[in-house]
Amino acid sequence: MILVRSILEKYPKEQRFLLAILQDIQRTYNYLPREALIEVRDYLNVPLSSLYSMATFYKALSLKPKGKYIIRVCDGTACHIRGSMNLLDEIKRLLSLSPGEVTKDGKFSLETVNCLGSCAIAPVMVINDKYYGNLNPSLVREILAEYAEKSGDENV
Amino acid sequence: MPKKAVMKMYENAKRTVLICCGTGCLANNSMQIYERLKKKVEDYGPYFQIIPVLKTTGCNGLCEKGPIVNILPDEIFYCKVKVEDVDEIFEKTLLKGEVIERLLYLDTATGRRVRSHKESEFFKRQLKIALRNIGQIDPGSIDDYIERGGYKSLKKALFEMTPEEIISEIERSGLRGRGGAGFPTGYKWKQARKINSFPKFIACNGDEGDPGAFMDRSIMEGDPHSIIEGMIIGAYAVGAEKGFVYIRDEYSLAVKNVSRAIKDAYERGFLGRNILGSGFNLDIEVVRGGGAFVCGESTALMASIEGKVGEPRVKYIRSTEKGLWGQPTVLNNVETWANVPVIIEKGADWYSSIGTEKSKGTKVFSLVGKVKNTGLIEVPMGTTLREIIFEIGGGITGGKRFKAVQTGGPSGGCIPEELLDLPVDFDSLDKAGSMMGSGGMIVMDESTCMVEVARYYLKFLSEESCGKCTPCREGIRRMLEILEDICAGRGREGDLELLLELSETVKEASLCGLGKTAPNPVLTTIKYFKDEYLAHIREKRCPAGVCKNLTSYRINPELCRGCGVCAKKCPAGAISGKPKSPYVIDTVKCIVCGACKEACRFNAVEVVGRR
Amino acid sequence: MKILIDNKECEAQYGEYILDVAKRNGIYIPTLCHSDALPGQGSCRLCIVEVIEGGKKKVVVSCLYPITGEIEVLTNSEKIIRMRKNIVRLLAARAPKSDYIKKLKQEYGITEEGRFSVDEEEKCVLCGLCVRACEEIGAKAISTVNRGTAKKVSPPFEEPPEDCIGCGACASVCPTGAIKVQEIEGKRVIWNRSFELLKCENCGKYFITKEQFEYIRNKFGIEIKQILCDVCRKKLTAQKLIPLA
Repeated sequence: MILVRSILEKYPKEQRFLLAILQDIQRTYNYLPREALIEVRDYLNVPLSSLYSMATFYKALSLKPKGKYIIRVCDGTACHIRGSMNLLDEIKRLLSLSPGEVTKDGKFSLETVNCLGSCAIAPVMVINDKYYGNLNPSLVREILAEYAEKSGDENV
Repeated sequence: MPKKAVMKMYENAKRTVLICCGTGCLANNSMQIYERLKKKVEDYGPYFQIIPVLKTTGCNGLCEKGPIVNILPDEIFYCKVKVEDVDEIFEKTLLKGEVIERLLYLDTATGRRVRSHKESEFFKRQLKIALRNIGQIDPGSIDDYIERGGYKSLKKALFEMTPEEIISEIERSGLRGRGGAGFPTGYKWKQARKINSFPKFIACNGDEGDPGAFMDRSIMEGDPHSIIEGMIIGAYAVGAEKGFVYIRDEYSLAVKNVSRAIKDAYERGFLGRNILGSGFNLDIEVVRGGGAFVCGESTALMASIEGKVGEPRVKYIRSTEKGLWGQPTVLNNVETWANVPVIIEKGADWYSSIGTEKSKGTKVFSLVGKVKNTGLIEVPMGTTLREIIFEIGGGITGGKRFKAVQTGGPSGGCIPEELLDLPVDFDSLDKAGSMMGSGGMIVMDESTCMVEVARYYLKFLSEESCGKCTPCREGIRRMLEILEDICAGRGREGDLELLLELSETVKEASLCGLGKTAPNPVLTTIKYFKDEYLAHIREKRCPAGVCKNLTSYRINPELCRGCGVCAKKCPAGAISGKPKSPYVIDTVKCIVCGACKEACRFNAVEVVGRR
Repeated sequence: MKILIDNKECEAQYGEYILDVAKRNGIYIPTLCHSDALPGQGSCRLCIVEVIEGGKKKVVVSCLYPITGEIEVLTNSEKIIRMRKNIVRLLAARAPKSDYIKKLKQEYGITEEGRFSVDEEEKCVLCGLCVRACEEIGAKAISTVNRGTAKKVSPPFEEPPEDCIGCGACASVCPTGAIKVQEIEGKRVIWNRSFELLKCENCGKYFITKEQFEYIRNKFGIEIKQILCDVCRKKLTAQKLIPLA
């Protein structure tokens, strides 16, 4: 995999760069393809079992592709007591998505995050890198409708 | 001062317009405000006597009132600025020096609008040390930092002090770790210096994972050089030549700003070989986390830096003796590092004159939840909870009653009203069963269910625990099971006793701090809110109306005026009635959302137990 | 130096672990994740003891606590018994089928409980010994995956592990018998993979997998002329030495 090769060559062959390498691969492919892990194994001389441990331990990494639009609903305490569960319920209603899942068309995936540090505008959700604050279920509905209209191939 | 005189005073002054671009304000379009104002200034160009400078800054702390636009030297502090207001700000304030009243900060205590933020209740009582520069500088500009005295302390440390003197100064200042544990910083550095084993490492814990805490994020985003300068001084003092700034994965902007600051520091000779000609070498790099709360624990953080999973190890041998790769390592929190340059500059005597006997200096808190002035504050240690919540914070929103304040994140506990006069410092809150922790302060009102809060924290910890040791992994799992049962109406007699018993084992037998402090939210809520637990278990009723299985709403026919507002607000069409006679809720259709209770002006909607 | 364990004076070296000193002096402390060959997991927490040092009391795991002064150790205080009992309860709720856990339940007088939901078939207590054995003796084929309550031991991608050499070290070190090994007709089946077993050239018994044999040969770079089981190798080596005697 050419892209994996170019990522690996940026780093010295030391274990301490393993997480950074996996993060780069995750960002490039939106997940960690198996073939990519094999290449990392060979480059760093780290057993596949360790790579699999890393991939399943850290929530930033995933072995299955995340959605084109990653919805992260903050469930930090401030957002929680200001109703983040209601937002999650609404997203479940609209997209049949529970946290950790991806829609069948791969367009949306949902995650809960444990505090985005924007507690003053709670409850908050982020879609890719865009923040939305002071939410309620009907605002969530409007925002998701906007995204649903996008063709999916645009740069957000 | 008469208006004309003020205008004259600033007529030929070089104006600086500071536009807050902390995450809260950014989410409210502050970048568009900056862009629009920038264009207006550029278009006006040559007509300016002195062209005003526009800067985007880090978080001011007053997130509730954002976007913030602060104009210097006039000290005009505008709040809740919209993109539509930019033209008016340009015409009136920048060109004519006039103040736009409606955009000024409205002091909720006095009902008056204040011109400078310094006059507000929110800022008046604060003492900014760690946050000294944030909101005043462009975090991407090393010159801004230097202009405000940055890197002077580094020069003093390198050329006027010995490492031992630096350590002694930090020790005498009484600085204790701001990450939550409160370990004496000077003592930690002394231990590391003593060990004759090289290489040595220093590290910064930027893994701020407590939900509701964003102190460290603001410092990393808004004033990254304060951390770097602190680290260089610390590295010099202990004899380390390599440093790491470990930043939580979710904080992309912090990663960007800290990385940029490190790059600029190298360019100016503050990092690298032979720093400023002192003969001292230091390299610092950023390590990005992978999305794991447990990596905020020191040994887990080090495992993560080493490229492994973030599993803690026992700390019978301290990290200052054997840390990263078995070498002496000094790990300190972001806020701790940010305090170091100021202590070197102003001295230990000055620093130790602030705060309480055992907790010196100030502490940054993120005051969030059901409080009017949510945001970031910095106050001297010893300020009481009451002052923080009611005077600085402005009290509870929506006219509701205070119920509890949660401090210390998932490691802390909930403090009830009767303890509001406790001073906030490292030790006082421990006695109440909580801890100050990293500074998260979440205010809860009567509509918060304390049992559900305990369940929430346990759920969080059950997923964030590394899973290695039995008490934490299995103990939290079973405590969560019991709490989920209680919240769903399946609570049994004996559950509270079982929770307390398991809590002791989890607290004392767990391997690391995550497990050891996990029972705190449960212990404090049982201690101070036992009645709520008993209502859930025995009466199958959630007094706050949060646990849906244990809540139903009923309209009190004696208080109902038949206005019909509730029926209009009901999203499920579950309320019916005729005007001027009592309305009724159909509990079968009701989705227990509470909209009717919120809407009713006569308090006629009551929360009763399970239908 | 001298330390006190349950009021008994014991001789200890600086840096020694409490558990080792206790064992040497005939004092029993229960363990689960400890193995003399692979010490230092520190995960089951059954071996907790109270240490009184510098006037302060603390709870530590005896398998990893280094003795650095003249401390006093209590292995069976009321508090420790209470907490150990809870740890056994938690283990029993997790892995009810394990014989080792059943024995511990009896030792601590724990009767059936029923408060928690239980997976009747589970035997693994996540002590970590198998992963450790695979790292040190085997081919690093398995590891712990996920975290928190979902943590478990698994080969990569939850498939039969490619790197496994079928040595069975994991199964032999497991205290609860959670890893299944089957040997039928010259084959060993473990982790859902089937391995061909080699016969000892002398006695004809199946004793090692082909993969493990190759692994050892490659790892140590030695040429092995005869495929002999341990017993026969020792016998034949001894026979070679007799004429020299």
